[in-house]
Amino acid sequence: MVTTENQYAIETISLTKIFPDWWGRAKVIAVEDLNLQVLQNEIYGFLGPNGSGKTTTIKMLLNLLHPTKGASFVFGGSVDSPAISGRIGYLPEESYLYRYLTARETLDFYGRIFGLPADIRKARIETLLEMVGLSGMGNRQIATFSKGMARRIGLAQALINDPDLLILDEPTSGMDPMGTRQIKDLFVELARRGKTILLCSHLLADVEDVCDRIGILYGGRMQVEGTVRQLLQQKDEMQMRTGQLSGRALEQIKRIVSSEGSPIDIEKPMDKLESFFIKVVAKARQEKQRTSGVEAGTGISGFLAEKPVVQHENILDKLVGAHPQKGPEEPEKSDRVEATKSPPVSQTQPPEADYGLLQQLTRQKTEAPLPSTETVQKEPEKPSVKKDILDDLIRKKSSGSTEITQPEKKEDTENA
Amino acid sequence: MHSIWAVARNTLAQALRMKIAAVVILLLLILLPLMSMVMDGDGTLLGKLQTFTSYGLGLISLLLCILTIAISTYTLSNDLKCKYIFLVVTKPIRRFELILGKLLGIILLDILLLGIFSAILYGCTRLIPKITDAPESQKFQANAEFFTSRIGIKTELAKDLINNRARQRYNELKSSNQIPEDMSYARIMSELYVQEAMKVKRVDPGQTKEWDFEDVRVKNADDPNTFIFVRYKYQTAAPPPDEKVYGLWQVGDLRQFKAGAAKIKTPVYNVERDEVIRVTHEFAVPANAIAEDGYIGISFFNSTALNQTAIIPEELELLYQTGNFTANYFRAVLMILVRLVFLAVIGISLTTWLSFPVAVLVCITIFFVGLTNTFILDAIGGVGATAGMIYSILLKPLLWLLPQFDGVYNPNGYIVAGRTIQWTFLATTALFTLLVKGLLMLLAGMLIFRRREVARVAA
Ligand SMILES: Nc1ncnc2c1ncn2[C@@H]1O[C@H](COP(=O)(O)OP(=O)(O)O)[C@@H](O)[C@H]1O
Ligand SMILES: [Mg+2]
Repeated sequence: MVTTENQYAIETISLTKIFPDWWGRAKVIAVEDLNLQVLQNEIYGFLGPNGSGKTTTIKMLLNLLHPTKGASFVFGGSVDSPAISGRIGYLPEESYLYRYLTARETLDFYGRIFGLPADIRKARIETLLEMVGLSGMGNRQIATFSKGMARRIGLAQALINDPDLLILDEPTSGMDPMGTRQIKDLFVELARRGKTILLCSHLLADVEDVCDRIGILYGGRMQVEGTVRQLLQQKDEMQMRTGQLSGRALEQIKRIVSSEGSPIDIEKPMDKLESFFIKVVAKARQEKQRTSGVEAGTGISGFLAEKPVVQHENILDKLVGAHPQKGPEEPEKSDRVEATKSPPVSQTQPPEADYGLLQQLTRQKTEAPLPSTETVQKEPEKPSVKKDILDDLIRKKSSGSTEITQPEKKEDTENA
Repeated sequence: MHSIWAVARNTLAQALRMKIAAVVILLLLILLPLMSMVMDGDGTLLGKLQTFTSYGLGLISLLLCILTIAISTYTLSNDLKCKYIFLVVTKPIRRFELILGKLLGIILLDILLLGIFSAILYGCTRLIPKITDAPESQKFQANAEFFTSRIGIKTELAKDLINNRARQRYNELKSSNQIPEDMSYARIMSELYVQEAMKVKRVDPGQTKEWDFEDVRVKNADDPNTFIFVRYKYQTAAPPPDEKVYGLWQVGDLRQFKAGAAKIKTPVYNVERDEVIRVTHEFAVPANAIAEDGYIGISFFNSTALNQTAIIPEELELLYQTGNFTANYFRAVLMILVRLVFLAVIGISLTTWLSFPVAVLVCITIFFVGLTNTFILDAIGGVGATAGMIYSILLKPLLWLLPQFDGVYNPNGYIVAGRTIQWTFLATTALFTLLVKGLLMLLAGMLIFRRREVARVAA
């Protein structure tokens, strides 16, 4: 197959995957009508909660699954062609490595499949083992490795062919914070060398400071897509980042700001993407989009909590829970949400549902947010809800241990 | 090509690190030398050699077959189940290359293990005559009948002639109203057939029976050290007092006497034997007895002076040497290898769409059908009734697809009897088993696997 050099490293056209049940009826719509375009030399953050269809998309890209509808191209062609698969490095969601091989044998095996000459193979294996910090354990069997160690070999394996495109499915899962940091530095370095990376994760910390562009998937559909900056900037708000200030200094600042006639709110800095992500997912949920992935979890299971957790009546949960999956014949109720246009906003009670989601996300966070710029201009997200769910959340959650706060934001809707 | 080789190496490593391979190796390493010590057969050196090689080859073949079935059904299905395959098929390797690589790995393992164990068996077999103190006659017998490679030509019963005679007898009986009313036609006929066949086979006292062999080509027939062998067994109409038969044999171009020629060109050998009945015997004559055109005749004379009863020489066979034991043993081992490769092909092909347990079950079934398939196919061929027709239409194509490991396809029989496995036979068997049946299955497997969604989990 002739591969025409394409501007897209990855392109999917209306990619859809429906898993049928035993009788051949549609059971799970894992990915629906996905049009993904990843440019060459771009780090693309492919985000979404568990079960939103990220892995399924990757599997279709790599021909491990056949799309029910639509098509996908890598470097303008099919991964079936060795010329194209030879340019890809892939790290699956778990490290599916032969347990009976040693780390070195593992890398050697994959190197051989790529047809690397012996000297290059040997040199690369040593460099990669060094890089992932396992050079001393090259002769140990993978079976004896911990999950994080196997993960590192998985990463080394994905790099053995010096790929032009890296497809990484939750690369930091099971990895320690140092490893995570290392990996992120690696991504930046690889991108600098002209590589393309599809970084798939539900861990926002993984993507936020390395990705050029992100897309958020929910229920198999792309909810928003854009550069991190575009998505997070709020134009009519400003944020100052300082060291710890005395009360007196704060009072002075407040006075100055009030004299400008602007409201002021002083908080500790926080993750930006995280709140955005939650908002997107919450919105999708509120619009009763079905997902075959995880629904909002309830806080902590009753039997685990020391004190009984107060279960709030949650209308949203009820609504969503009643129709976890829509039948294929049922008409689609929600519009596809994009960064540029927003659908009509429905008036719904702010959901507690997101308390669970928030917890789930923060629990897995491995790193403290990295303040990067002194001032970040903020722009209200375009698709937003009448009443910010997080505001409500914070007020109700008085005893929670999660340390996430959200700058008080004005209610804002474009179409209001 | 490099990717096929990479997969082959990996499969080999997997198999060697699997416990089952270790168990098979250990079992053979213990059992083979042990068997060479305890197996005795009928007490003679020949018997001991025959029993040992028969069991030895059988054991090696069986254990390696099981090992091959286990590994070939395991390797691909386990890759699929444990998702190892995700990291393989996403690399520059085509699906058929993956299958070929796995197959190659298993074949290499089979060659390795079969080579080692057949060498051990060979060594033990060669050692047995040296460490057993058997009389010279037994050693001679072992060399003539076991450490050799001979081809045998059997005489065929003239079935049509016997059938005609049986029918004629039936008609005679019918016209004279002597047919018993309570017997069916088929039973009477089969009875008459046996009677007529006996008439053809028996040699009454004072009579001579002759067998003709055409086109017998023996290498170096003029060399006085090249021999041909006559093999037979006696039955008698009535048991002789000493359980013995005195036979007067003539081997050579018997046409020379009939033509009344004065001078005899090729030698005719007279052989006198006194031997017990119901046991297979054998004698040798120089191969120069064969006429130039490849004809040789054997005659048996039942002398009234020596015997009092009719004698029935059975299973008469003319044998001649075509090669040595070692080469023949090698061909027997290759025949086992054909079997192993076929099983590996089946195992892998099945797991392109079946899970491990199902594939193992199917594979073992195929293996056991293979062990009796020649017999089954023959039996079906023999059934003439309507039921047989149905079987042969429905079952035969299916059975045809399955392998044949028994009968003439079983190398044990050849080695035990010192019979030659001809290269042409080995080649056609290999061609037919592997390139026709095996390739068909392999291509089907590859086709299925090419379209398979490897990330699809079976419910
Ligand atoms: N082989 C399968 N059969 C049926 N459903 C599946 C299969 N694989 C994935 N799914 C479903 O598809 C949805 C998307 O899964 P996945 O792509 O793994 O999510 P993510 O990687 O975003 O966490 C989930 O609801 C999951 O249960
Ligand atoms: Mg996943």
